[in-house]
Amino acid sequence: MTSRMFTSADAPLPAVLAGLAAQGYEVGAAATVTRTLLDTFDGRLHGAGLRAEVEQVGDRMSLLVTGAGAVPARADVATVPRVVGDLPAGPLRSRLAPVVDVRALLPRVAVAARRRAVTRSDRGRVVVEAAVYDNLTGDTAADALAAYTVEVAEMAGYAQPAAALMRVLVDLGLQLTDGDTLDAARVASGVSAGGFDSSPRIPLAADVPAVEGFAAVLGHLAQAIEANWQGTVDDVDPEFLHDLRVAVRRTRSVLSQAKRVLPADVRHRYRIAFKELGDATGPARDLDVYVLEWSGYVAPIASRAADLEPVLAEIQRRREVAHVQLARKLGTRRAMRTLSAWQRWLADPRAGGPPGRDADAPLGGAVVDRITRAQKDLIERGRSIGPASPGEELHEMRKDAKKLRYLIECFGGLLPAAGRKAFVQRLKALQENLGEHQDAEVHVEQLRDLAGDLKGRGAAVPTLLAVGELVGQLEQRRQSSRDEFTQRFADYDSKATRLALAELLDAVAP
Amino acid sequence: MKVLATYSIKGGVGKTTSAVNLAAEAARTGARTLLWDLDPQGAATFFFRTTPRMKGGAKRMVGSKGALEPHVHATEQLGLNLVPADFSLRNLDLHLDDVKQPTKRLARLLEPLADDYDVAFLDCPPGITLTSESVFVAVDALLVPVIPTTLSARTIEQLAAFLEDLDGSGPLLLPHFTMYDGRKTLHRDLVGSLSRRWPGFCNTIIPSASAVERMGVERSPVAAFAPRSKAAVAFRRLWEETAVRLWGD
Repeated sequence: MTSRMFTSADAPLPAVLAGLAAQGYEVGAAATVTRTLLDTFDGRLHGAGLRAEVEQVGDRMSLLVTGAGAVPARADVATVPRVVGDLPAGPLRSRLAPVVDVRALLPRVAVAARRRAVTRSDRGRVVVEAAVYDNLTGDTAADALAAYTVEVAEMAGYAQPAAALMRVLVDLGLQLTDGDTLDAARVASGVSAGGFDSSPRIPLAADVPAVEGFAAVLGHLAQAIEANWQGTVDDVDPEFLHDLRVAVRRTRSVLSQAKRVLPADVRHRYRIAFKELGDATGPARDLDVYVLEWSGYVAPIASRAADLEPVLAEIQRRREVAHVQLARKLGTRRAMRTLSAWQRWLADPRAGGPPGRDADAPLGGAVVDRITRAQKDLIERGRSIGPASPGEELHEMRKDAKKLRYLIECFGGLLPAAGRKAFVQRLKALQENLGEHQDAEVHVEQLRDLAGDLKGRGAAVPTLLAVGELVGQLEQRRQSSRDEFTQRFADYDSKATRLALAELLDAVAP
Repeated sequence: MKVLATYSIKGGVGKTTSAVNLAAEAARTGARTLLWDLDPQGAATFFFRTTPRMKGGAKRMVGSKGALEPHVHATEQLGLNLVPADFSLRNLDLHLDDVKQPTKRLARLLEPLADDYDVAFLDCPPGITLTSESVFVAVDALLVPVIPTTLSARTIEQLAAFLEDLDGSGPLLLPHFTMYDGRKTLHRDLVGSLSRRWPGFCNTIIPSASAVERMGVERSPVAAFAPRSKAAVAFRRLWEETAVRLWGD
């Protein structure tokens, strides 16, 4: 069921209601209603063509999900769902879970109003229903909202009664308008329908001076850092820290590639500052990943899940402590001043010292050189890794792969979309293998450390034995990633990859 | 879309009551729900205050050029739509026999709606007929209401045997007790013995309740007029149990 909204600039509401009553429609009593639009910070529901709103009337609250076909979904809820897991098991949760994943549902805009139902019945049942909203208040100036709105529900099988009501409304001086009351409130508040896009790509021209291109990319990354800052401090959901950390890593990577482009002093100062920021975010993120991956780790030894509960509880405790420490670090005046100073410099990238030697070289050529070199470093290191190479070499290779990936992503505005996506897919396949290996190694170390702690606190023997089994599982996972590396790298270190990269870089205008 | 049918070989065991109340609960928890009334008695249609009229009748609906969508009606509960029944459904078997691959016809009619709905409930007439065979092909699960009496218990045996004889794997069988009166020793004994014999029985038991009888007066699902009644709570729990069985935790 969709709805159609009608508004009027000059037909007074009392006259409209009287006109409807005169036509035989029943006008119900008014009730106060609040409607709140929910979506993730990055607008995942909107991106999937869905809209979720929470409606509260008195002490009754419901979640309404529309989009994805003509039939809406409405679930009675006791509280505003914060995460998809707050919804009851069933189709709605199953439908939203892959879209929303671990992200929190946040209120984007709210509107409060007085609502009356306008209905007509036939043989004991309602065949048409409209909602009249007036006294609208929201996150905007009162005069930005219409004096009243009328939403006519289009009910399957009852098209004619709905059409008749719409004709009556037009006769009473109302006009059909796009969207609904909540849409109108959102537009009036200046809130965008989508969310914040943390993707690093911006339009770039190959012939601009390299210093301006690099500053534009870094400026875009700085926006992502700023946008995700408070959500990280408040630990709203794990993706805020993830996106903050990725933006910081990309910033560090671009700074490391900015030799001879940015003023040396600026580059040096901010490489240190962002390294500190990156290091500060590490422990909390590692523990976030641990919690997120936990059910996958434990699945092969599901029969020991109960024995492992104290371990999960300890990991979660450490996670909370790490997040509190992170919030403290991000809240310091020093951190805030560093970010502000960085943003000020980005607004004038030629300030802060003598320009780099290649500051005015064309951006396109500078980026092509760097991508070529990063690919060369990655291949050389990969070829040097054998079965006996220490795990540390794979970790270094992971860093090399990230450097290349970030160059392609951050300067993706210079590269043709199809070729870029195809090349990144190849690189991703290698990175996933390296990532699995690294995560398993880190988590094994953490588990060993944790086991020592738990033993000191008198943990039960079954728990310690279960930890041993889990370490065994993770070691197997690490080893299997290690065994797979040779083939994954061989697939990457191939003619197809070389051709794909050449095509990509040839498309960058000199 | 998951397709469920309330089905029993016996009449009067609570198929329509279960279909109507479970469909209402499904919609109340946010499932986009379709209830298809396949019983010419049209009881589900009556409970939702919808005119029992199918344009062109059952013959047109299941005919080779037929479709389900033109027959869909909204109910007064948002998220729950109904395909009403009328008396032309008494000849549904004959009309199905006239089409190619009759046992697949109901499934084919539901296919175009698969993206619009999360769950479809089919309220089936009693008996084993061509219509029932078509239902068995179309559904993911059969919700089988069972009054804890000896005769009802036989119907589970007969149904299970029939499904075993069908080609391919049949739908999941989800029997549940209805019209349970805990004061009756026979009811208590049969609930225990049947649950042991058929471990697939749902844990939730629907009690014999005056609220259910009042559905005919109120012409609404129980939760709409008696949300705190034992019957409403039982249907809520039965839906939760069914949802976990079909969509997981």
